[in-house]
Amino acid sequence: METKMPMVLDIISENIIKHGNPLALKGSEVASWAKELDLPVKGELLFYTGGEYQLLPFIDSLVKTITHLDQGSKVFSMMMGARNILNKTGLNAEKMYASVLAKDKDRYNSVCLKAAKVLHGLGYEFCYSGNEELYSGALLYELGYLEDMKNYVQKVVEVIRNSGAKTIVCLSPHAAEVFKFIYPKMVKGFDLEIVTFVDLVWQRRDQLAKIEASGAVVIHDSCRLARELGIHQELRDILENVGADVKESPRNREWTSCCGGPIKILFPELSHVIGSRRVNELKESGAEHILTSCPYCLSALEGGRTKGDSAIIEDLIEFLYRGSKA
Amino acid sequence: MTVDLRKDFVTYAKDLNKASEDTNIRTAITRAVSSYRNTVSETLERFPHTPELAEEVQGIKRHSMANLDDLLKQAMDSVERNKGKAFFAKDHQAALEIALGIIGRGKTVVKGKSMLGEELHLREYLEENGNEVWETDLGEFILQLRKERPMHILSPSIHVPREQVAEVFSKFFGKEVPPDIAEEVKVVREFLREKYFTADVGISGANVVAVDTGAMVIIENEGNVRLATGAPPVHIVMVGTEKLVPTFQDAMKVAEVTWRYAQYGVPGYVNIVSGPSKTGDIEKVTTYGAHGPKEFYVIFVDNGRSDMAREDKFSQALHCLRCGGCMYECPVFQVTAGHFGHVYMGGIGAIWTAFVAGGMEKAAPLVYSCLRCGRCVERCPMSIEVPAMIGELRERIVYGKY
Repeated sequence: METKMPMVLDIISENIIKHGNPLALKGSEVASWAKELDLPVKGELLFYTGGEYQLLPFIDSLVKTITHLDQGSKVFSMMMGARNILNKTGLNAEKMYASVLAKDKDRYNSVCLKAAKVLHGLGYEFCYSGNEELYSGALLYELGYLEDMKNYVQKVVEVIRNSGAKTIVCLSPHAAEVFKFIYPKMVKGFDLEIVTFVDLVWQRRDQLAKIEASGAVVIHDSCRLARELGIHQELRDILENVGADVKESPRNREWTSCCGGPIKILFPELSHVIGSRRVNELKESGAEHILTSCPYCLSALEGGRTKGDSAIIEDLIEFLYRGSKA
Repeated sequence: MTVDLRKDFVTYAKDLNKASEDTNIRTAITRAVSSYRNTVSETLERFPHTPELAEEVQGIKRHSMANLDDLLKQAMDSVERNKGKAFFAKDHQAALEIALGIIGRGKTVVKGKSMLGEELHLREYLEENGNEVWETDLGEFILQLRKERPMHILSPSIHVPREQVAEVFSKFFGKEVPPDIAEEVKVVREFLREKYFTADVGISGANVVAVDTGAMVIIENEGNVRLATGAPPVHIVMVGTEKLVPTFQDAMKVAEVTWRYAQYGVPGYVNIVSGPSKTGDIEKVTTYGAHGPKEFYVIFVDNGRSDMAREDKFSQALHCLRCGGCMYECPVFQVTAGHFGHVYMGGIGAIWTAFVAGGMEKAAPLVYSCLRCGRCVERCPMSIEVPAMIGELRERIVYGKY
């Protein structure tokens, strides 16, 4: 039997398989943040972005397209069809998204740079695959495209092995999750050590400089990080070391509430409702400054913030970077 | 063959969006979630042995599902030994036909709340075949009058506020019923009391079945199940085979864990029924139908359950106690209630939909609206790995492997 899935799933899975990125962003685009650092391509520790923070502003555009158009309508089919053709002919996908705000693009692109600088500041040396880096395929796993993923991950592993690294540090918990739990089942002899950005910072947290924050902060634990990877106390330890006043939301750690992100591409409105409920829940802690450590949480919570809401939503990376600049 | 799921996703997304804007759902669920969390944390403190007991129950369930055929045989033997009649229904249609065969036409039936009943659309079927059927659980009764489906497995009419209850009651009873909860409860009590004692048949489900004794354990608070299964001359139990456990002691453990996580703390009533009512008070001659039912029937329903039991990746879904705790923790359910479901609700409901109640195509949109966030697993006393199963179902859907 053959099933016709919603078109947005076809597009995303095909983009990953053919272009190594859910939105068919070019390798050079994904790696542009690293220009000024001149990182080596080989080393013991591989810095892995998976392009996930870099594609956030484009995801929002895609979602806006979905939200404003009836997915069953002819116009939507045509647009999605057009996009697909564009991708197949190798044209820049991002040209489709003229509405992406430059400031969003700059912000999310710079998250990777900030993460690299924070780790450098703590004395870590690492390599980066640059233009060659491929997306982990976490969404193939998430959305059920496991047969395709089995083939796809071989390409990813080739790039990773070219670096000669023994350890991968992932910025996104989704990448860490698939590298840790799914890759070993799909790739023979895949035995690299998988750590997250949070793990590495936590190990050298004593070296962190104090951060002057204007008020208390509250942690939004990412589901993957807290439940699958068991990382939640580490975030608190890190923040304590930089002198932040950490408040707790009523649902936290392994009981954290999902940001709504995982269903954003298929059920954008509902995802938005869930995201804004979570923002309010976090604010019940008494803190207005929300920190998370996952690209999709960051994007979903930003999207869930109502207009004019004074809450600040940042990735832990962005927050810690303030300290490393000083 | 090509199955196009695109329209189903669009229709479903619209339904979810509409539900998420429904202020009745929002208010009711918000209240219910906080009350659920408070009650459960209080009662777990009062009965601190519960999590350990839940782990023991996981073992009981694992063992039972691995020996389902054997347990079923024992259960049927026990029912017969107790002078009841046992039936096995392979599927949905067989279950309905067996029930209709026992009941016949032109009868009055009083019914306790049962998810299996929902799965089989039992009331509708019996009505179509010329019977008068009354839901006796207050929430189900409200929905019967409103011609709606349940929005939660334990609190089916959670989304209907008292004003709307008063409205539908006033219309049905042909008199002004004020939007006062006590008054609303009272009119139903009066109405159904008469039904219990004139009904030909009472139907119930069961929360757990001990196969050694043939004991059907039914947990409730309203007292409607006691009346519906005690007053009419015939009692029919319709129960899914996943409820079978080896011993009476096992059944007590399952029951306690079920009600504790179902927010009951201590339930008002635990009914244990093993056979027809009987007396030997006159000359030690056993005579059936003393005060309770003279006839006792049990229909054990498979309807996809043994398929689930055979699959390593899904057999754990049969451990579900239907306590409903996962739903209160589900961020999607919290804003859409039973709209995230098709008979069975939430993430676990999507799995049950695929195997038992609707099939993979009905399940597909539900399967994709699960966040796979995993908070249900934290809450679940059986630690059912819903996100992993959802992942597996997605793969089957994508590649048409079903």
